[in-house]
Amino acid sequence: MPIPIHASLPITSPAIPQIPTPTARPASVPGSFGELFRSSIQQVQGFQQSAHQQVEQFLSGETEDLHKVALATQQAELSFDLFLQVRNKVVQAYQEVMRMQI
Amino acid sequence: MSLFSALSVSASGMSAQRARAELLVENLANSETTRTPEGGPYRRKDAVFATEAQPSQFASMFQDELGTGVNISEVVEDTREPDRRYLPGHPDADAQGYVAFPRINPAEDMVDLMGASRGYQANVAAIGAVKDMINRSIDLLR
Amino acid sequence: MLDPISNRLERYMDLLSSRQKLVASNIANADTPGYRTRDIDFHFEFMTQLEGSDNPNVIEAQGLKVKNDGNNVSMDRETRLLAENAIRFNAAASLLKSEIRVLRSAIQEGKQ
Repeated sequence: MPIPIHASLPITSPAIPQIPTPTARPASVPGSFGELFRSSIQQVQGFQQSAHQQVEQFLSGETEDLHKVALATQQAELSFDLFLQVRNKVVQAYQEVMRMQI
Repeated sequence: MSLFSALSVSASGMSAQRARAELLVENLANSETTRTPEGGPYRRKDAVFATEAQPSQFASMFQDELGTGVNISEVVEDTREPDRRYLPGHPDADAQGYVAFPRINPAEDMVDLMGASRGYQANVAAIGAVKDMINRSIDLLR
Repeated sequence: MLDPISNRLERYMDLLSSRQKLVASNIANADTPGYRTRDIDFHFEFMTQLEGSDNPNVIEAQGLKVKNDGNNVSMDRETRLLAENAIRFNAAASLLKSEIRVLRSAIQEGKQ
């Protein structure tokens, strides 16, 4: 005896788990890695901006405190270098994880 | 805008001051000279400074006029009457017993000499500072 | 390629070079009769930056005592300016080097 197929029965596919797309915003999750990265980029940019500001002030004669300008510049440089090194380590770690045989 | 023209400006300053010093030394050495090949006593010599446009080595027609060097435009001799002193026994005494001496005040020329030396050193300092700036520019490449 | 602050630094160094040349001229002509001290209005020239203008306006320095022969060069002033220009030039050169260094390390780290 054929099983009557009721039109009212909705045809659904079995549930497929949703893979979060990469374009989703991981940074919205507080304390997540993306958030950490973003805040450190902002910090480096902040140092660089303040260093440029100091340099501009020195050039236009507003300030004669060369030591302040020098320190701000070095701080920007150092924070940038640190950022690059951290980034390198992160990329290294990521590559290692990807190489892992599951 | 090149700093190299500043070097030649300072070099011209050094030459001028040295020439001036040489004349002053000559004056001092001859402050009592009563006979010269031209006849008559030694006449004091003075250097006249004048500005000079500096063509730098790679000068083009539109080169900057920022650097003006200096040179000795002429050497003038003292045209005043010589100093006559009464020394009848002197070999160069004239009929009345007067000897013509150069009108030189050694103290004045000594002070001038110190001025020339100071000017020379200032030009040397300028060369040092400019040379340092040029080297720092080269340093940007490292 | 370098950021705007580097252009400002370059302009600063250009003007300092010009000023130093004038200082050298003043020192060389410290005993020239009738010579007047030459200078540039540094702050004005720096703030009104025009692209590609190589020659700043040369002006006569004000407020200097004129000697009997018409010369008004003050050796104290020129010596002070000589030192100051050199120091500022060196400072600007070092700051420019720092900018270049940051850019260079970014390029080099990117190679990995």
